[in-house]
Order: sequence, then structure tokens, then C-alpha cells
Amino acid sequence: MRARIKKFFDSGTLFVWFCGAAVAASLLMVGGVLLLIMINGLGFFWPHALVEMTLTDGTRVLGELKGEEVIPHSATPEFPEGKTRVRLKVGNRDLYGLDFRWVDTDRIAKAGSPNDVAAFERREWGNFYGRIREVSRSEGVVATGNQDGWKALQPLIKQANDLHEEIEHLQRDVIGDINFEIEGTRLKIRKLELRGQGDAGEVAALQAVTRQLETRYRKHVETLRALSRQLDEYSVLLVETNGREKRLPVGQIVKAFRPNDMGFFEKILTYFKNFWSVLSEEPREANTEGGIFPAIFGTVMMVLIMSVAVVPFGVLAAFYLREYAKQGLIVRVIRIAVNNLAGVPSIVFGVFGLGFFVYAVGGTIDNLFYPEALPTPTFGTGGILWASFTLALLTVPVVIVSTEEGLSAVPREYREGSLALGATKFESMLRVILPCALPGILTGLILAVARATGEVAPLMLTGVVKLAPALPLDHHFPFLHFERKFMHLGFHVFDVGFQSPNVEAAKPMVYVTTLILVMVVIMLNLSAVALRNYMQKKFKASAV
Amino acid sequence: MSQAHPTANSIAGGSPPSSSFLAKIGLRTLRRWVDHGARGVITLGGWATIFSIFGIFAYLFIEVAPLFYAAAWSEETSVQIGSLDEIPPQNVSVGINEYMEVGYVLRNGDIAFYTFPGGTPISLDPSVLSPSTTLRTGVVERSRRMPVFEKGEITALARSPGRDHVYGLGTSIGRVLPLYVTFRVTFKDDVRHTEPVVTAGEPFEAAPDASPIARLAYRETDGGPIAAVLTGSGRLFLTKAEEPEAGGLFALETESKLLQAEITDDGVDALSVLVLDDLGETLLGGTKDGKLFYWDIRDIRSPRLMGIYSTGTSVTALSYLIGDRSIVVGTEQGTVAVWMSVIDPDVGGDPRLEKIRNFSPHDGAVTTISPSLRDKGFLTAGVSGSVALHHSTSGQTLVRIPGNGSAVLSAMFAPKTDGALVLDDSGRLITYDIENEHPESTFSSLFFPVLYEGYEESLHIWQSTGGSDEFEPKFGLWPIMFGTLKGTVYAMLLATPLAVLGAIYTAMFMRPNVRAVVKPVVETMAAFPTVVLGFLAGLWFAPLLEKIFPAVAAMFLLIPLAVVVVCVGWQFLPSRLKGTSGNVTELTVFMLVLAGMTWFCLQLNHQIESWLFDSNYKGWLQSSFGLAYDQRNALVIAFAMGMAVIPTIFSISEDSLSNVPPHLIAGSLALGATPWQTLTKLVIISASPGVFSALMIGLGRVVGETMIVLMATGNTPVMDMNLFNGFRTLSANIAVEMPEAPHGGTLYRLLFLAGLLLFVFTSIVNTLAEIVRQRLRARYSQF
Repeated sequence: MRARIKKFFDSGTLFVWFCGAAVAASLLMVGGVLLLIMINGLGFFWPHALVEMTLTDGTRVLGELKGEEVIPHSATPEFPEGKTRVRLKVGNRDLYGLDFRWVDTDRIAKAGSPNDVAAFERREWGNFYGRIREVSRSEGVVATGNQDGWKALQPLIKQANDLHEEIEHLQRDVIGDINFEIEGTRLKIRKLELRGQGDAGEVAALQAVTRQLETRYRKHVETLRALSRQLDEYSVLLVETNGREKRLPVGQIVKAFRPNDMGFFEKILTYFKNFWSVLSEEPREANTEGGIFPAIFGTVMMVLIMSVAVVPFGVLAAFYLREYAKQGLIVRVIRIAVNNLAGVPSIVFGVFGLGFFVYAVGGTIDNLFYPEALPTPTFGTGGILWASFTLALLTVPVVIVSTEEGLSAVPREYREGSLALGATKFESMLRVILPCALPGILTGLILAVARATGEVAPLMLTGVVKLAPALPLDHHFPFLHFERKFMHLGFHVFDVGFQSPNVEAAKPMVYVTTLILVMVVIMLNLSAVALRNYMQKKFKASAV
Repeated sequence: MSQAHPTANSIAGGSPPSSSFLAKIGLRTLRRWVDHGARGVITLGGWATIFSIFGIFAYLFIEVAPLFYAAAWSEETSVQIGSLDEIPPQNVSVGINEYMEVGYVLRNGDIAFYTFPGGTPISLDPSVLSPSTTLRTGVVERSRRMPVFEKGEITALARSPGRDHVYGLGTSIGRVLPLYVTFRVTFKDDVRHTEPVVTAGEPFEAAPDASPIARLAYRETDGGPIAAVLTGSGRLFLTKAEEPEAGGLFALETESKLLQAEITDDGVDALSVLVLDDLGETLLGGTKDGKLFYWDIRDIRSPRLMGIYSTGTSVTALSYLIGDRSIVVGTEQGTVAVWMSVIDPDVGGDPRLEKIRNFSPHDGAVTTISPSLRDKGFLTAGVSGSVALHHSTSGQTLVRIPGNGSAVLSAMFAPKTDGALVLDDSGRLITYDIENEHPESTFSSLFFPVLYEGYEESLHIWQSTGGSDEFEPKFGLWPIMFGTLKGTVYAMLLATPLAVLGAIYTAMFMRPNVRAVVKPVVETMAAFPTVVLGFLAGLWFAPLLEKIFPAVAAMFLLIPLAVVVVCVGWQFLPSRLKGTSGNVTELTVFMLVLAGMTWFCLQLNHQIESWLFDSNYKGWLQSSFGLAYDQRNALVIAFAMGMAVIPTIFSISEDSLSNVPPHLIAGSLALGATPWQTLTKLVIISASPGVFSALMIGLGRVVGETMIVLMATGNTPVMDMNLFNGFRTLSANIAVEMPEAPHGGTLYRLLFLAGLLLFVFTSIVNTLAEIVRQRLRARYSQF
């Protein structure tokens, strides 16, 4: 027996098992995290059933069921397992103060999912759960009762949403344009003043333009007011489950639905509609509701600008290191330096970006080219260009290493063959080696993009904001506004999850953003892996 | 290409050369030029990229360097303003406005203004005070009365502490006259004009015996001026002229109400200096026989002596520093020391004074001390004419301007701490330009414990911003460096075994087809944005861990045990039950064991808590180990950062393990070694440098990780290794404070220093890893 035990230990099986357990633990952790994000993120879009409960004291609770737990330290001799309680999202923040409520299970007398209750997604104060008492117009009641009211409300909501769109268009596009022009004229006047060429005629002309613009502005503001009044014309009297009333202008409602009345396919349809609206809409309520479109847009823009900056430099450096430089001590030192750069914490790049790009370079640009806007900085403050450059620096080692890998995979015969046929070195680089190394460059680019998409810390110092007033790309000349601040998915996660006043209510939004971010990053990485595998196979085949 | 002579154009362009330029220089030459040009561009691009890497380091260094620059000074203006013989120092004062444009000399009740640089006198017609014994105000603004005429001679004056230029002038008949110097700023064509204005307040009787005032301390408070006077006969009186209640425009009751008391403690007749603090709550006196008297004067009518302290030698100058907690004492021998008022936290009661720092002394007595209005710096000057600038927190003398032998009568440290105005007894008025951007940061104040105001002992503290100018910034970098270390240690403790053991299993015992799936999956984890991990750690895991801590604690114990038990049991299992697919089954078994044990522990959470932790683990931790449990703590960080680096370490270790030349392994096995012996005696040993470099790279990542720490710790810069509370790291500190740090300020540069420290540390670690890896590669290539 003893010999057997000794043999068992000598065989190292136990150690191997521990190694295996470590792999299993790592896999479980990855899987667990992915699962957690998927469940919470994907569940967000589903129209959850509304549960109406009657409690033992006669009061009622209506909301979405959000989980159940054992009440801590509640174990008594009668309930050795402890009592349980359920968590409900009851909405109606303006009436209750809190979105969520715990209900002890033993206080529930009756629970059901009546078909006639509705969820109203509002522009302010979050969801309202309840029924309709009446729908009225400014001069009188249009429909009374839950059923009739519901029918009457549907077209009104659509109408209100159309109106909102019109108002939005007017505010952003028409009035936004005028403001843009007014600001441009102001800067032109200031510029003339600064140059000391205060040509009175020119200034007067510009001032006339400004006055003209202001007249137009006032006219549009009038239209805007009229539209807003139209929006408030219809109102709906809602009643929560215990009978408290709440009058709401229809314009406040984004959408209304009766989840308990929906069939399965209707729910699926709603699911995808919700998904799309999150992707395409602007955020509301301090980013905790609505969509994340500006964050997606900002992320994509930043990554694109970064790619334009990072690829030429990364590829040039890799070609230099692998093809042109004499292999020796210097190249070894440079390789180490490149590797070091890859290991430098991202926040250090942020610090560098802030000090160098924003204050040093941006400040100089402001002094030279935008003195009329000072003391308001144009480039001397964080913006999408500086953030992109900072991330380009951060990711340049990824591109270098990956391109070098691609270059080293190109068989030697290709170079020799090309040179032997009389091509110059540059010609063989351009026409033979570069196409072969393209998958490597692309892999590097994709990895760089993946890294940049998920990076947040340096952006916090170089230009990301919680709510950008305008996208960095629009129809105003010069279309691409490099100096503008932008929104970013990763920062959105940080901001909504940690800096919003109502974290509990914001959590679903954070999970959704997280899900989208993680999906994008994982997809990018998997495509990079696939590309690399393809490259390896291709050259393995050609080398044989 | 079918031509007999494939010319270059088939490669370089395709179309035959047509332009005359091409014909002239020849295609061959052009191609050579292009080739050379391309070589140049590529080389340039390569070097540019490489330079930018070193550029980052250089730039960080450039931003940090001014922190450690010595302060510099230069003489800006020096003018002779006439003889000042026979005027005692207590009857002279100088002042300068915040832009260092207009300064004044106040002596014997006479005030003269000068513009700087240059020192041109300003003729200020009505406000130039008559040189006679009568003091007349020029522009009467604050006094509700007619211009004041005061009898008697001015015998002493005192400047009220604070930003405004407010003086009390003591007369030979025991009265005190408040005097206000203000600078009225107007803008004409965007150019700033500063015009000085002198206003007198209402005089009041400060010495009831009408004897001449020898020494004076004065403080203008909201409730009225406070004056402490030492008369020529050696009596000490304390007076507050309470402002009358506002009683209407023509109220007769315009006399101030005087609150007065005589301080009769032994030895007050030897007082040589008197100062009042900024709040008007304490009075400090220094004597000729080397004593400090410290009174509580919150109740003016009954001042209370809180203590007498010995300074050794005669006190010649005294001043409170901004915030009233530190006191600068200058003596006849030229020593300069900072004393601090300390309240024992256990006992409470009166504060007591303690000498905490000595500064480099002057030759000869210290004549004047001028505190900074914005930090803990102060200017001292002595009879030898030397002027020195000190900083209390950092304990250093920043500037020492040698004297020319003429004693300094009065000096003022410029309000923006960028200069000084000095008057010596030869009648020379001098302004100095002082470059002193970062007085509070020295190597020792950053990295060694410092005795801060209000603390009992020297401590490492990071507390960079406070509510007001009076706040003493505490720039001890240790707490955040310690926090970085703490996070790193715990994360590496969790990540190292999981990653390295996992790599060994994957490289040595896993079938290739399983490995082809497992490795990318774990590497996918490397791409996980850390903001996501931070969010999950902070908002999901931290609250969860608080609930299930007993279960998690049990997991650390029970899961390894379960692995052992199942492993032993597995040996006895008939082999046909183990399945034939080998690896997949084993991996499934591992996962099942793990998941099962996790589930088991979670189910028994409450039972475990009552068995092991007396039903309340927080109380148990507190009573057994004195450890407090915070929700966002180092354990949460260990899991989250562990997850962030496991893939990095795993991937690089696995590479180096599987790159051990296969013929070595085959040889070992062929010679009869078991797989286990091959693993321990050959593979692990030869791949250990690779594993080491994997750990180093992982370490580098953990050290600089920002978002996880930012989101999942409380970011409190505390210093203890407690696993259950939070900390603040260098990286998170940058993220938290950088948006608030003014460009070019001390905090800004210190955050750059934090960045530089991270840069240097990760560079060292990564270089080490890279060198080890290159050597390993070279060694393998020999086989």
C-alpha cells in the first residue's frame, strides 16, 4: 500500500490534476463572465412580463420580477432555510422615489399577470407601469377607460414621436446651423479685430449678417414653440396599481406596450426593435436610458482616425527593422524598446497625450491659428484627434510586431527571386513582399483596433466626455471636426456605471453597452486569429 | 514578360517611358533614385517611430524635472529712498500688490508709494501723509467720519495677517489707529492701471494708561479690530473695538464698544514680539529671555495663558503661517524654527506648541518674517541683510540671498510667491524676482514621512487638494506606491498559480485538438476591455462577494481538497468508465469538480458562516484579526486583475513550454523517464526563463492597470496590507486627479512623476523579460 501511495505521488498525477483544475478554473471564469454579460445584456431587450401582486395588507404592487433571495439572517426555527423576498422593478420613479422594491414572499397574498397593464417608456422619470384612466385633449376628454384609452393612445404616441423628430430636426439641424454660422461670424469679426485691420465696412457687413441670422433664429424658435405646444395638446391620465393618478402629456411617452398581452412572436419583434433603438438612438436621462448611438459613433471615428495614423508608422518601422536595418545590437535594442512600449501602462500614454498633444501641440496650434477663439481653447483641450493619436502611440507596437511576423513568414526565396529578376529592393518590397505580408499587417491593424476599442484610461485624459453636444462628423465644413470631444463605449460603461446618480436603475444600460463592446472586441480578435491562421497555412503550403 | 530582355518597366510600371524627362535621365537611374528614396523614407519612418518611443520618456522627464529645480532669484530693482536711521524696526513696514507693480513703505506714520520695476515714487497728492506727528488720511472711504487727526507720535505698527494690507498704528498716547492700503485696479484700453488708496479707520484706546505703545499686534476681524499692546512701562493690554450695531444713518451711537483686559502673567514685561493669528483666537508673544507665551483670547475680557515654551535665545521675530497652525520663530542668534500647535487627540483640551523643524540660520538676529499668502512658505531676513525663503512642509530653505551688511528692516513675500520687497536700514528698497514654482516637493517630502500640521507624528500621506489656501497639501507618494504594490501582490498571488499550472497542463498534457480550442479561448480573455472587468468587479462581484464571502473563503480550502479526493478516487475507477476520449473527459471532470464545489460552497454559505465565523464574518474578522471589511477591497481586485493577466501569463508561458524542442522530450522519454520526470526534470527547467518572462510581463500589466482599480476599490490612499480594504494605485491616482490638476502646477507634475515611475518600472520589468526571452530563444536554436 505504502509503495502504491509513493508511486502515486511520484507519478505526479496529483500535480497534473491541479494543472488541469487551473485550466478548468480559467475556462470557467471566462465562460462565467461571458455568460453573465450575455444574460444581463441580452435580457435587457426582452419585454418582461408585468406581475401584479396583492399584499396581505391589501396594497398592491405592479412591476417586473427581477429576482429572489433569502433574507440575510432570517433563519428561524420555523423557517430553517430563512425567509425569501422578491425584487421588483416598480418604475414610477416620480411617484415612489425608487425604481426597485423588495417584497417579502410571505406578505404576498395573490400574484398574477393581468393582460391589461401597460408599461410606458417615458422621456423623463423612467418607466411607468399601470393603466389608463382617460385620454384627453386640451378642450375635453377623448377616450375613457383602459381599453378605449389604449386604443386611442396608439396613434397619438406615433404622432407625438413624429413631432419629436421634427423638433429634433429643427433644433439640431436648422437652429444648429444658424448657431454655427453666428459663432463663425463672431470669430471672423474677432479675427479682424485682432489683426488690427478693423476695416469698418467689413466688420459692419459681418455684423449685418449676424443680425440677419439672429432674425432667422428667432423665427425658428417661434416655430419650435408652436410645435412644443402641439406636443402638449394631448395628455393621458395614468393610474398606478394602487389608484394614484398621474397626468402625462402624450409627448412624454416614447413607447407604450402591454407585455402580458403579447404573443411570442410579437415579443421577439419587440426584442429586435428595442435592440435597434438602443443602437440608433441618443441617450436620455443622464445616459441611463435611451440609446448609445453617439458612443458607438465616437468609438468608430476614433478608431478610424487612429488606424490612419498608426498603420504607416507601424509598417514603416517594421519594414525598417526587418528588411533594411543591419541586424545587430541596435536593432536588438530597438526591439526591446518596442516591446517596452507595448508594456507601458495605458494611463501613462494618457498622461503623455495630455501633456504633449493637448497642452504642448494643441496650445501652440491655438496660439498660431485660432487666436480669435482664445481663451476658449480649440485644439488646446482634449479632442478626438488627440485621443486617436494617443491610442495610435499605444498600439504602434502591436502593428510593428505583427507586421514583422508577417514579413518573417515570407519565404526567403521570394525576395531572392524578385531581386534575381532585376527588381530593385524597393520594387520587390512593394510588389512581392508587401502583398505577402498584407495579412500580417491586417492582423496587426485588427489587434490594434481591438485594443483601442477597449481602452478607456488614456481617453479620460485626452478628450472623451460623458455627453458630447455634437458628433465629430457632420455637414458643416470641414465635415470632420478633429477638435471636438466625443463619446466612447468603454467610457460610457465607466460613466453610467459609476458616475450616474441612480446606479441601480442604470445597470441594464451598462450591461447592454458592455455586451456590445465585448462583442465588438471579441469579434475583432477572432477575425485577427483567423487571418493569422490563414497566413500561416498559406505560407506553409507555399514553402513545401 | 515574353520579351527577350525583360526591362524594368514590366516590373516598375508597365507602360513604356514616354516623357522626355524619363528619356533624358533613363529608367535605370529613375529606378535607382526611387529605390534610394524609398530606403530613405523607410529608414526615416523607422527611426521616427523609434525616436517617439524614447521621446515619450524624455517628455515625461521634462515635465517632471521642474519639481526638483532649486528656486532661483534675481535682483529686479534697487533704489535709495533716503535715510532710515533711528527708526526702530517695529515702526517700519513694506508691502507690494499682487502683480508686484506698486509697493509702499510705511514708517513713522508716513507712507510713500513706488512703482516697480524701477522704484519710481508715485506722487499721490492728498494721500501722502504729512511727515508731522499728525496723521491725516487722504481718501476717506471706510471711515464714516471726517478725516482723522490723531495726536501723538506713531511709536509702533503691526500688519494684520491675511491678504489685505491692513495696519494698526500705535501712538505715544496709547491709542491704535487702523490704516487700510488698497489697490484700485482700472482698465483702460485693455491695460491695467493700479492706483493705491490709503484710508484710515477709527482710532481706539488700546492702553488705558495712555502710555506710549512699544510693541503691537493687530488683527482686523469681522467683529472689529483686535489689538494687543505692550506699553513702554511693560504692561500688556488686549483690546477689541467691537463695531457698533448698525443703528441708522444718523445714529448717535457711533462709538465703538471697547472690550479690554490686561494680561498680567509673569514675564510679559520682557516681551519683544507680539502676533495675533488670522482668526483672532490666539495671541503669541516672544520675549527677550527666550520664551514663547501662548494665550487663548477667544474671550477678549479674560485671556488665558495656555503655555510658556522656551526657545533658548531671545525671540526677535514671530509669525503665524497661513492656517494658523504653524508658527515661525526667529531669534537673536539667527535661528529660524517652525513650531506647531498640537492637540493631543486622546486628551483634547488646549493645544500645545512643539518645535518641529529648524531651518538654516541667518548670521545675526532675524528681524522680520513674512508668510506666504497661498502656501506654507515664508520669507525671513536678518540684521546681516540676508534674505531667505523657506518652506515649512518640505522643511527646506529654498533661496538664500546674501546680505550686504545693512540690516533688513522689513520685507514682504509677494502675494503670488514670485518675488519679495525688502527694505534695509541703509534706505535701500529692493525687489527680488523669485522663481519658486514647486516649493512643496522635494525628494524627501515625496518619499519620506513628513510631520504635517495637525498630526502627532511624521507620516506618509497623500492628500493633494483641500478646500482652501490654508490647507497644507500632503504629497507623500508612498501610500499610492504602496497601494500599487498591494494590488500587484494580491493579483499575482491569484493569477500566477492558475496561469502557470494551466499553461503546463495545456502544453504537456492536452491533446492538440483540445488545445487548439482552449488556447484561443483563454487568449480571448486577454482582449477583454478592462473597463468591463472593472465594472463587473465593482458593481457585480463586490456586492456579491460581500454576501458570499464565507463560501468563497471555504472554496479556497475545499476546492483543492476536492481535487485531491477526486484524483485519488479516479485512480481506483475502472478504466473503461474513464472513457476513451482522454483529455476531453478529464477536462470535463475538472470542470465538474470545480463547478460542483462552487455550487456546494454557495449553498452552504450561511452554514459556513455560522461554523467558521460565528455567524458574522465581518465581526469575526474585526475581533480576531482587527481587519475591517470594505465592500470594494483587495480581494475583489485580486480576482478582477487576476482575470486580466491570467491570459497574458498563460499564453507566454504556454508558448515557451511548448517550444521546448520536441526531440529533447522524445529523448528523455526514450531513455525511460516517465512523463512526470520529463516534465519536472527537463521541460519546466528549460522553459523556466520563458515562464519568468511571462510573469514579468504580467507584473507589468498589473502594475499599470487603471480602470479595474479605479472602479473596484474605494481609491482611498491608506497603507496596510489588509486584504479586505481598498487602496489607491499610481495609475488610478492619475485618472482621479489629473482632470482637476491645473496645467503646470505641482500636482500636475507630480502626476507626471507617477506616470514616469510607472513607465520606468514597467520598462525595467519588460526589458528583463525580453532579455531573458531572447537568451532562451538563442539557446533553443542551438539544438
